[in-house]
Amino acid sequence: MSEQVADAPQDGPRPDDHEAGAGRDPLSMLLQPGAWRLERRLHTRPVHELYATLIALAITAVIIGLLVIIVGVSPLDAFASLYEGAFGNRESALETLVQATPLILTGLCAAIAFRAGVWNIGGQGQFIAGAIGTWWVYDTFPGLPAPVLFVAMFCGAAVFGAVWATVASVLLVRYGTNEILTTVMLNFVIDSGLSWLLSGPWQANDTPYSQTERMVESTFLPRFFDDSRLHLGFALALVMAAAVHFLVRRTNLGFELRAIGVNKQAASYKGISVGATIIAVMAISGALAGLAGAGELLGLHHRINFEFGGQAVGFTGIIVALVARLHPAGVIVVAIAFAGLLNGATQMQVGTGIPAALVDVIEGVALVFVLLAAVACRYRLRKIAHHG
Amino acid sequence: MADAAQSGAAAPGENILVAEDVTKVFPGVVANDSVSVEIRRAEIHCLLGENGAGKTTLADILYGVYRPEEGQVLLNGRPLELHSPRDAIEAGIGMVHQHFELVPPMSVIENVVIGTPAKQWLDLTEARRRLEEFFADYDVEIDPDAEVGRLSVGEQQWVEIFKTLYFGVEILILDEPTAVLTPQGIDELFRILRRMRDEGLTIILITHKLKEVMDLSDRVTVLRRGKVVGTVDTADVEQRDLARMMVGREVLMQADKAASTAGEPVLEVEEIHLGSDTGRGSLEGLSITVGSGEIVGVAGVSGNGQNALFDAVVGVRHPEAGSIRITGQDTTESAPHRIATLGVASVPADRIAQGLMMDFSVKENLVLGNQRERQFSRAGILNRGQIDTFAAESIDTFEIKTPSAAQITRTLSGGNLQKIIMARELSGQPQLIVAHQPTRGLDIAATEYVRRRLIQERDRGAGVLLMSEDLDEIFQLSDRIAVIYDGRIVAVTEPDATTLEQIGMHMAGASDTDQGSP
Ligand SMILES: Nc1ncnc2c1ncn2[C@@H]1O[C@H](COP(=O)(O)OP(=O)(O)O)[C@@H](O)[C@H]1O
Ligand SMILES: [Mg+2]
Repeated sequence: MSEQVADAPQDGPRPDDHEAGAGRDPLSMLLQPGAWRLERRLHTRPVHELYATLIALAITAVIIGLLVIIVGVSPLDAFASLYEGAFGNRESALETLVQATPLILTGLCAAIAFRAGVWNIGGQGQFIAGAIGTWWVYDTFPGLPAPVLFVAMFCGAAVFGAVWATVASVLLVRYGTNEILTTVMLNFVIDSGLSWLLSGPWQANDTPYSQTERMVESTFLPRFFDDSRLHLGFALALVMAAAVHFLVRRTNLGFELRAIGVNKQAASYKGISVGATIIAVMAISGALAGLAGAGELLGLHHRINFEFGGQAVGFTGIIVALVARLHPAGVIVVAIAFAGLLNGATQMQVGTGIPAALVDVIEGVALVFVLLAAVACRYRLRKIAHHG
Repeated sequence: MADAAQSGAAAPGENILVAEDVTKVFPGVVANDSVSVEIRRAEIHCLLGENGAGKTTLADILYGVYRPEEGQVLLNGRPLELHSPRDAIEAGIGMVHQHFELVPPMSVIENVVIGTPAKQWLDLTEARRRLEEFFADYDVEIDPDAEVGRLSVGEQQWVEIFKTLYFGVEILILDEPTAVLTPQGIDELFRILRRMRDEGLTIILITHKLKEVMDLSDRVTVLRRGKVVGTVDTADVEQRDLARMMVGREVLMQADKAASTAGEPVLEVEEIHLGSDTGRGSLEGLSITVGSGEIVGVAGVSGNGQNALFDAVVGVRHPEAGSIRITGQDTTESAPHRIATLGVASVPADRIAQGLMMDFSVKENLVLGNQRERQFSRAGILNRGQIDTFAAESIDTFEIKTPSAAQITRTLSGGNLQKIIMARELSGQPQLIVAHQPTRGLDIAATEYVRRRLIQERDRGAGVLLMSEDLDEIFQLSDRIAVIYDGRIVAVTEPDATTLEQIGMHMAGASDTDQGSP
């Protein structure tokens, strides 16, 4: 019984807690006789988190390796061809960045909302809302000069994404409706909305398919290189990551959103309006996913069809954010890594016969272990003296 | 009561329960550091120490909640292996914790028999007979069929005590039993405890209040930072000796305070009503006024509307009827942010839940709530230089012990957490300070500090609304005392014009009309 009780959270202030930071010499701890015990750290430092995450990823690699062995392929071959397809040469590396672009933005979308303790699971729907917004601006204001049109289309995407997220946040703030449920349901709603648009008002005249016309070439996002699809959207995603970091760490709103993420009650006692902050954060979160929609439409697809959003970047963004522990820089790294997996999987499938769907397994396993690591690094193993 | 008498039981005056070199370690804290105590049969033995000294931990070891990492417990000279409180009860040791372990919707009698071992026959009629006998014998007026949730905290404590005695323990451990009682309740408890001792019960009473030790105990063991400072016969010592043992230095027992006269009212609460929908108590037409330059102490047993009053004044909840004016302006419906800008500082009772972001850095907590002030941000962007400067100053003036301003708040001790709140709240030279239990859980040094600051603020001209369950604190600090009961102020008086007993009567609900309306 004592072991469990010892780790139970305490409600009262603990006057001697500050002594907890005092380290002990690890070697002498190891040599001392006695039992090991898991105990809670009062304070986790970023290095702990980094190590824990790296260990989690290593464990993931081992598990995936075992799966690959079961299929009868050498894990080294599998990982080699996966890597080859993801980053092996200039072409594939650039293509990985192309795939990372929307994941960075949807990852930021989830990360900022989660920071505030708001569980926006609607990145996918907001992504589609962004594409719809882009098309709507394109369709409604055909006469705009190119630079203005670009700005207007991105603004349209951001606004549509924000509005779609705001539906959920208003329900949450006004009626306390669980945002996880509403954001998930709104994903379905916008899917149906999109089908309706594609088979009705926005359907292209010249085809029997449910899709829009192809956009005129002047609206295509500039590409960085002739031999790659990498477009300006990638730069935009990086800028947004920096902006989110700045917002969260350096502004009032960031301070307040972190505050409501940590302790809503204390925040409201200290005059922070929880409702207003939630509305603001969700709008920003939705806008980020909306920008991802604009980037995909203007940078790659140039038309909306049924497949648009089929990659489920909104959902992958949630995993990206969680694996990145909600840090914007981490989101960039993890998004590129995940994009590499997606990209490399095809090569792996061709080269070794392992189904590309293994990537989903990798993502899932990585998520589970990184989340476990996030909890685990709040504890440490310590040796205690003999029981008397 | 001595049903569980052990073979080879000690005669009165001999050691019955002994802890030998007991050590218990919690993450980062040695809660009991080689603690040895000898409890004699049929004595009242106090465990005295400041918050965090390790009293509860020691009691929990004697009661089988924790197993010590080192050392052992002896009962009647023989080593005692306790794996759970059940073992302790079987060995004749019972304990009433600070947080009661009762089932509120069940009746008194059901709560008492609930722990009957499965193998024993549950005889409700017999149980009722014994319980009624107990109550009659000790003059405690509790209906065995009453629902426990409807009893007052004091009455619930009696249920806890009788529940323990029902199983025939011969050693009774009480953890800070007076914290929930009025002065009269304390007298009654002590009277009965003395009688139980005379009848042969051994009583271990945990407290951090010196007066209680002096009043009640035969012997006292003082703990400090997990170590035993010493065990003494109460008759041989004075209060200040115990204080010195407890704190490790001389302490001033009295806060110095000059007389003051109240100026213009800064807080006028008139007839407010507030429902109990949030579970933080209700108000039934409460009125109170605080003038500038005075401390108004609100005395009362917890749960009589203190939380609701706090919430209403700081604007977290809005009264359904009545009005609140702060520095002359109507704030009945104002949001917390607006109220703060009128110069209102608030020190909430639960600093961790309502006062701080435990996962923020110390400096962020020092500006929490003021982050939009011109001093700390421009155009929505935080001014980190200013925040750092302010934090460094606050840490300095308020003597906050932290490795750095960037330290995560969670790692600080209770006293330092309260200093962060005080530093933040007092920084803007507030006109009104609403402080709820500002010294609860603090050690003596931090307590002295907080009280001194409140008096300084009063002398500067701030009005202070001080809600506290600690009557000594109320008497020490207040210029006027108001008593809250059942969501109303039932009496207002001055400390010199009243006695502890009178205040206690009001706290228990007796109102008197000569005191005039608040
Ligand atoms: N379950 C626990 N987990 C971690 N630390 C604890 C626990 N219980 C007590 N402590 C720590 O042990 C020390 C002694 O606590 P406690 O025995 O409750 O003191 P007291 O009852 O004298 O106020 C404190 O520093 C407290 O923080
Ligand atoms: Mg205690």
